[in-house]
Order: sequence, then structure tokens, then C-alpha cells
Amino acid sequence: MCMANDNKRFLPMGKQVMMGNIAMAEGALAGGLNFFAGYPITPSTEVPEHLVSRLPECGGAFIQMEDELASINAVLGASIAGAKAMTATSGPGTALMAETISMGASLEIPFVICDVQRNGPGTGLVTAPHHNDVFQCKYSGNGEYEVIAYAPMSCQELYDLTIEAFNAAETYRCPTYIMSDAYLGHLHEPVVIAAADDVQQRVVDRQFLDHANPEKFTFKDNQGNIMIPPAPVLGTPNFPTYFFSQPHGSDGIPMNENQVIKPLSYLLDKITNNVEKIARTQSYMIDDAEIIIIAYGLPARVSYRVVNMARQAGIKAGLFRLVTLWPFPYEQVKQVLAEAKAVVVPEMNFGLMAGEVERAKRLDIPLYKVPKIAELHEPGEILAVIKKAAEVMA
Amino acid sequence: MTPDIITFPNEKPEHPFTLQTMGGFMTNNFWSYFCGGCGYGIIAHLFDKVFLEQKLDPLLHPLVIGIGCYTQILPLLPVDSQRVCTLHGRAPAIATGIKLANPAMKPIIFTGDGDCLGIGGNHFIHLCRRNLDCVVLLFNNSIYGMTGGQAAPTTPQGYSSMTTLGKVFERPMDGVKLALAAGATYVARITVAHPRTLMKYMKRAIKHAGTSVIEIMTPCVTYFGRKNVNQEGKRMDSGGILIDWLKAHSVWNNQAKLLSEPELNDKFVLGEFKDDRATPEYAAEYERVKQQSMRS
Repeated sequence: MCMANDNKRFLPMGKQVMMGNIAMAEGALAGGLNFFAGYPITPSTEVPEHLVSRLPECGGAFIQMEDELASINAVLGASIAGAKAMTATSGPGTALMAETISMGASLEIPFVICDVQRNGPGTGLVTAPHHNDVFQCKYSGNGEYEVIAYAPMSCQELYDLTIEAFNAAETYRCPTYIMSDAYLGHLHEPVVIAAADDVQQRVVDRQFLDHANPEKFTFKDNQGNIMIPPAPVLGTPNFPTYFFSQPHGSDGIPMNENQVIKPLSYLLDKITNNVEKIARTQSYMIDDAEIIIIAYGLPARVSYRVVNMARQAGIKAGLFRLVTLWPFPYEQVKQVLAEAKAVVVPEMNFGLMAGEVERAKRLDIPLYKVPKIAELHEPGEILAVIKKAAEVMA
Repeated sequence: MTPDIITFPNEKPEHPFTLQTMGGFMTNNFWSYFCGGCGYGIIAHLFDKVFLEQKLDPLLHPLVIGIGCYTQILPLLPVDSQRVCTLHGRAPAIATGIKLANPAMKPIIFTGDGDCLGIGGNHFIHLCRRNLDCVVLLFNNSIYGMTGGQAAPTTPQGYSSMTTLGKVFERPMDGVKLALAAGATYVARITVAHPRTLMKYMKRAIKHAGTSVIEIMTPCVTYFGRKNVNQEGKRMDSGGILIDWLKAHSVWNNQAKLLSEPELNDKFVLGEFKDDRATPEYAAEYERVKQQSMRS
């Protein structure tokens, strides 16, 4: 196991200007990263460029692999061997990684994927941002599985949410994404770094199976609640005899067809039963709002200003921001939209998550998509849609 | 699960597709999915012998297993070893991650010709290029066995498969030459018909610091043999005939020097091709650089 050199792992306390990609890399280091494998892809290249020297300093290992398939497999291998592992890529890379991400979800091996999204499909406009991987991150792999995805909107959040993403990956043992984009990745912003001890307290370390305490080694407690035992670590005596991406019981023995449903539903239930704990949202002026903006990532940042502008114009607007994209908080969105008269979804794509909002909203309220491709919304563009919605309501 | 096979604990199940039971494990009723005449049983037996003889620490020698017929080798491997089943072709990449995360480990990769030279070719090349400390056991049966006998990158010219129109006219891939060109530092080829030499090579590979590649020629009776005939025009549908075929098409590397190119075309050259102990190994080199970086 890589020994953590904790003095160098945390940045000195204070405020400093950082690029988004570097804030993400530093957040990963603070979150306990000790293995990184990657393959260069625009616009995520600053992450490996920064970690190549920073990670060995902290006692971790860095390797540039031959392709994205190899990167994610090396990450999986390192995580099986007990390292907290991460890779950074963009949309085309995530597409190549799909097979192994699906396997990681099946094996319940924690790892983090930083997806600095770029325009697509195909090669696309490689330096332009486009939130077109928000469905890919969940639905790209074969099989049914759940992932956790964070959508930060500032460099500060890239630092903080990356720490949180590592914690979530360790706690829920599933592939965890950070959905950055080409603008956010290259944004230079002040980032406030907390004291090293405070950051360290937030970090969830890798847990080890302990056969002396069998109560920690169960999938369900007495009340029938889902428990998530720690992942087995290669090189420790408790590693299962078979380590398959076939459905397996607690003893690691492969199951036959009739027994498949139990472990498979466990894979889904461990996330869907914990949506309240995993899903993070932010609300801004939604108590009396009639028109609700639902946004994530950079458009959410614009929407804060849009809400203020709309309120000045006498329109009761509010913002409900998704900090995590997956698992999608259907129940919370339902509650928020219970009293609403219209919902506006500004997105840096043609309206992908708007489809998810559509599933949660009441049928009698209209949904307005505000698509913007390869660049960020001007506040006025979203405001115009809100004004249109207010006219329709009146 | 069929409970009735526990009745005769010391006999092998009659049918090769008898389901696995925990009772079978407990009562020494070892089972195997392999067809009669398959070479993987021999390989597993020899590997177990080497593993026990060399007193390898099972915690430091994870067995990273690719996808193919040989994935069913799992229950035949040493009982206390740690076995990681990977995706098709990705075993070298997963082994790289394991080795770098825990440099004390020496992964032993079980991979096949389709796994290692087909879908995972790139990972294999770059594993050899880095000279990462691990052992690659490349099982070459010249066919995709598990999916039902389709042409592999190693199917020799002039032989049939399920997905070949007529006879194979593509040139087969040479795993040894690829490993040598990519920079593996211990490279050997042997057949399952030479068990003692195979054990010798395995021991050397395990002691070697760096990427060791052993290509093991092994017979596939059900899909390669059944579809093809030997020199005498006889269908190769039994283990013995295929072992004879393997031996007839093998030539040791010192004899191979005396043969011309066309004569070597349908031959497997056996022996050790490289044993380079001077080239630095990747994980050790990285550890050295890392220590420097941590001190500065």
C-alpha cells in the first residue's frame, strides 16, 4: 500500500488562485488519492500534468497508460490493491472506459473519474464545453448499475466536491464522477483552502474487512436496511477466493441464474435507498417561487444572477440547483415543483437532464428548455425565457 | 445446484458440465469444465506444482486471469492464492495497476491468444515495453475456444475455423516475436507436451525481475482439432493426436537456426529467446524516482 505523506498532501491554509483542473487535482490529493492513471485528452490534460509531480511527492503512483481502456483498468487494479484511484478524461475517453466502469460497478470497487466534458459527438469542437456526457456517465456501460456524479460550478467546488466524491466512492463502493467541463476546467479563480487537519477530518479512509467483527460484514442489518461492507483488498488474507464480475454472494462464489436477482438488486438498492444521503442540492429563493429554474454546473451559476434579475422585474423566480446529477433526486424535485407554475431548465446541451425533470414534474406545468451549445448562457437569455413563461402564466 | 454428485465424493463427475457445488470442494471432488484432451488441466497442474515448490507467498502473487476457456482454470489453482478475474484482454492493464499500487506484489497473468494478442494486444505490447515486473502465461491454442471455434489471430495458415471461408489465409501472429519486439526481458515458448521444461521456464520467469512472457502451446481438441486434419489427413479429434501434431510442428530454437524461412512457416519455435537481467524494471525505477521526489 502507498504510504501517505500527509504533510505534502494538503495545501497550506489560505486563499490562492487556481485553475479548475488543478483545483480538482488538489482536491483529489486532499481526498486521499494515491494512484492516478490517465491518457492525455483535451481539455483534461492539466490534471495529469499537475499530478505527475505532486502525486509521487505525497507517496502515490502516477502512470500514463497507452489508452483510456488501459487507464481505467489500471485504476481498477490499483483500487483492488487498496489504493484510492482516479483517472481524468473527457467524453471520448469516458466512452472507451464504459466497459470497465460497468465492471467496477459490478465488482463494487470504488474509483473516481474526472470527466472534463467537451463538445461532441465524435471528435467535436475539442476546446468547447458541452454538458453532453451527463447521460453517458450513467448509461454508457452494459448492464444495470448506479453511479454517483457531481456537477461542480466553481473552482472552489471542484476542490471540495472532489474530496466528497472520493468519500462517496469509498462509502457506496461505486464509480463516482466529477462532471467538469472545458470552461470550468480552465477557469482561474480564488480557492479557499481549509486547515489541513479540518480537511483530513472530512476524508473517509479505505476500510478493510475485519473478520473479527462480523457485524461489519453484512449486506443487510437486522432492520433490513442496506449495509455496505468495505471492499476486499488484494494482498490481505480476507480477499475472496474468486474475484469475478459475475454476481457473487458474500463468500465470492458465483451464483446461478436464479440467484442473480438478489446481488443485482443490491447493486441498485444501495444507491437508490440512500438517495437522500447522497444527492446534494441547493435552493435559492424557492419558498414563494412560481417559476423554478433547475440547473447544474456552470448554468446554475448564471441562474443565481437570473433569479435576482427576475425578482427585480417582479417575477417570482427561484433556483433549485443539482449539485449531484446521479442519483437523480426525483422526490426532492417533486416536492420543489409541487407549488410551481413553470419550470425552466437551462443546460449546456439540447436538454438532457430536462428529460429527468420531466419525469419528476407535474404534468400540468410547462417545462422550458434553454439549450446553449459550446458556450455559456448570458443571464439575459435565461431571463427572456422566464419572462415568456410569466406571460404565458398571466 | 445438483446435490446428487456429492454421493461419490472421490470420483470425477461423469459429465463435464456438472454444476459446481461447495460439497464438491469439501469432499475433494474436484471438477473441471475442460474438455477431454484439453491442455489447460496440464498447465494448472504444473503451475500448482511450481507455486507450491517455490513456496510463493499467495498474498504477494495475485493471479490475474483474462477471459477465455482458461478462466475455468480458477478452481484448479492453488487454494490459498488470490485470483482476480478481469475483462477480456485487460489483464495486463489491471496487473499494471496492482503492481504500481503495491510494488511488493508480482502479478501472474493468465491470458490466451485471443485475449492477449487480439483484443488486449495493445496492453500486452505496453506491458512488455515498460518491463513491469510480472509473469505473462500466454496460452496459445490457435482458436477461440470458449465462443465456439472462431478464427484467432494465431490460427495457422491453411487450417479451418468456424468463421473462415475455406482455409485461413491470414498470416498468424507470433506472440514471442511481438514480446521480443515490444521489449519483454524474459521470453520463452514451450508446449504442454514438454511439462518439465515448462516447469523450468515457469520457475525462471517467477524469479526474473521484469516482464516474463511464456507462450504455452496447448491443444484444443473440441474446436481446433475437430475442424482440422493432420499431415496424414486424419481428423485431430483426440488429445493424443493433437499432442503429436504439436510435437511434429515444434522445433527447438537451436535447430531452427539451421532451417530456412519457408521450412519454419508452419513450425512453432520452442525454447528461451531472451533472458535479459540488466534492463531496469518499471516499478523499481518508479519507486526510486518517487523516493527522490518525496525527499526533495
